Amino acid sequence: MLVEETLKRIQSQNGVQGIIIINSEGIPIKTTLDNASTVQYAGLIHQLVMKARSTVRDIDPQNDLTFLRIRSKKNEIMIAPDKDYFLIVIQNPSD
Amino acid sequence: MFTDEAQEPVSIRSAWRTSQQSAQDSIGCQTRAVHSAEAEVQTLSTAVSWTQTQPHDEAQELLLQPAADRLDPPGLKAFLQRVEDTVIRELDRNGRSHAFDEFQVNWEDQSQPVSCLHCLQHPSAQERGLHVTSVSWSCTGSVIACAFGRTDDGDWITEPSCVCTWNLDRRGLNPKQADLVIDVATAVTALCCHPQQPALIAGGLYSGEVVVWDTSRTQDPVLVQTGMSADSHREPVYQVAWVPLQKAGEFGVLSACSGGRVLLWTGDLNEGRFVLNAAYALVPQQVPHSSYVSFKARGSSTVGVTSLALSPWDPDTFLVGSEGGLLLRCSFSSQTPAAVPSEGHNVTLRAPAVFVFRPRSGPVHSIHCSPFHRNLFVSAGTDGRAHLHSLLQADPLLSLRVSDSSVFQVQWSPSRPLVFAAAAAQGEVHIFDLGRRSLRPAATIEQGGADQAATCLAFNSQNSHLLALGRTNGTVCIWQLSHDLTEQSPREISQLEQIANQVAA
Repeated sequence: MLVEETLKRIQSQNGVQGIIIINSEGIPIKTTLDNASTVQYAGLIHQLVMKARSTVRDIDPQNDLTFLRIRSKKNEIMIAPDKDYFLIVIQNPSD
Repeated sequence: MFTDEAQEPVSIRSAWRTSQQSAQDSIGCQTRAVHSAEAEVQTLSTAVSWTQTQPHDEAQELLLQPAADRLDPPGLKAFLQRVEDTVIRELDRNGRSHAFDEFQVNWEDQSQPVSCLHCLQHPSAQERGLHVTSVSWSCTGSVIACAFGRTDDGDWITEPSCVCTWNLDRRGLNPKQADLVIDVATAVTALCCHPQQPALIAGGLYSGEVVVWDTSRTQDPVLVQTGMSADSHREPVYQVAWVPLQKAGEFGVLSACSGGRVLLWTGDLNEGRFVLNAAYALVPQQVPHSSYVSFKARGSSTVGVTSLALSPWDPDTFLVGSEGGLLLRCSFSSQTPAAVPSEGHNVTLRAPAVFVFRPRSGPVHSIHCSPFHRNLFVSAGTDGRAHLHSLLQADPLLSLRVSDSSVFQVQWSPSRPLVFAAAAAQGEVHIFDLGRRSLRPAATIEQGGADQAATCLAFNSQNSHLLALGRTNGTVCIWQLSHDLTEQSPREISQLEQIANQVAA
């Protein structure tokens, strides 16, 4: 299955802790983490991506959000947004 | 008529005196010639083969919404194809980037110094000259419970003492008056609050009893106690700890006494008595031998336990420190029967010791397992040093000099993986940060002299900037730690891993 292979390829990158795919309403569709964390990440990140996107478009209506990265003390969250789905990858770069 | 006659002399040969020379015989022998032969062997043909284990496929839990996606949602494949390359490129670049290596952000106010917030006293205990023997925070982090007793008397103590609790979050906190005072018949030598129920406190007494108090009951706070049965300890109980049992949510009490017994009790609430669940006895003959330990099993017939530590990572392991300086790793599930005469116990005594670490020269007063790494623990005793051990080897990884006198308690910080605090007999408390290059303490709390020895300390796991300190003058001081002692920095876990991996191969 192309989807599983792609997820495996991403998972095998250095330091990746988890992958979540959520749909445009913020409901998780595929994940490699446990249920509780997935639901928490999905809800919080969906709101944040919506806010980031509206920020970019308010500053320049011709512009749009292409990628969002949140760096914290312990890890980094990368979000690739799209019309229907968001791909969220959590990576610990020092691993 | 008489004439001289000349006679021949007569000689008689001696019958008994024979020649002392033994008979001599000459015999020779010669071994037969040894046969030897030479032969050579040469391998004519060789073959090489190797095996490789397959990497274990990790089971990945996929959250599938019920029924709706046996097939993937439409467009998912196309979406992934679009973003895959970008994401992999970013992940790769991020893994190699050094952009954020030393970057730290200050969210909290940095200028908090280490200061004393409260100095709690119980006047009647102070009048009787009692020392604080143990402090423990409740699971909510707002109540501090203190046990009073004596730490210096060698005699049997008969004077009553008490356990006091103060609620620090209450507005009307009076440092001179405890919120709750529980009177106890003998000195309390160990105290531990329940990890989930804020009202329960377990205590070990000088007489060997183990008691659980329920502070929510106004009438008689004693919930369960062991009583003086054949099962219970006969010597002072130096440590009690709550142990999670098989059934989730249930806890038993583990008590260790200087008579060499470690007992696991479960509470029978109907009768108000403790029932012995498992018993472990430590005898010198059953201590596992290693090349470092030349422990001669003579003299005392028991290994008096002075400290106990549970491992938060492995429910089967617990660590024991003894009066003679032994440091042992023990297992709850050990089945070897102990070599002691059974004294009418209901449960067979077992020998739990599995591994012995390098012994110290004096009693081990305190052991604590790191909450951030499964193999590390720190121990301290009368030699004035704090030793950082790994469970995997007998020698310590690091030995830090704390003070010239003995160290009574050492504990890891609940918020910073590299920080631990040690309380010394001369009254000062040193806080060490393993991330620093130098081996000197990162912070020192000094107050008074030897008459105010710091006997016990406890970090508050809910409010990580609070540290409680009990002294021999009967006061408990609550200190507030500074920001850099409580906030975890980004690379600490990996630094701790590096220290733990210094285990010699």
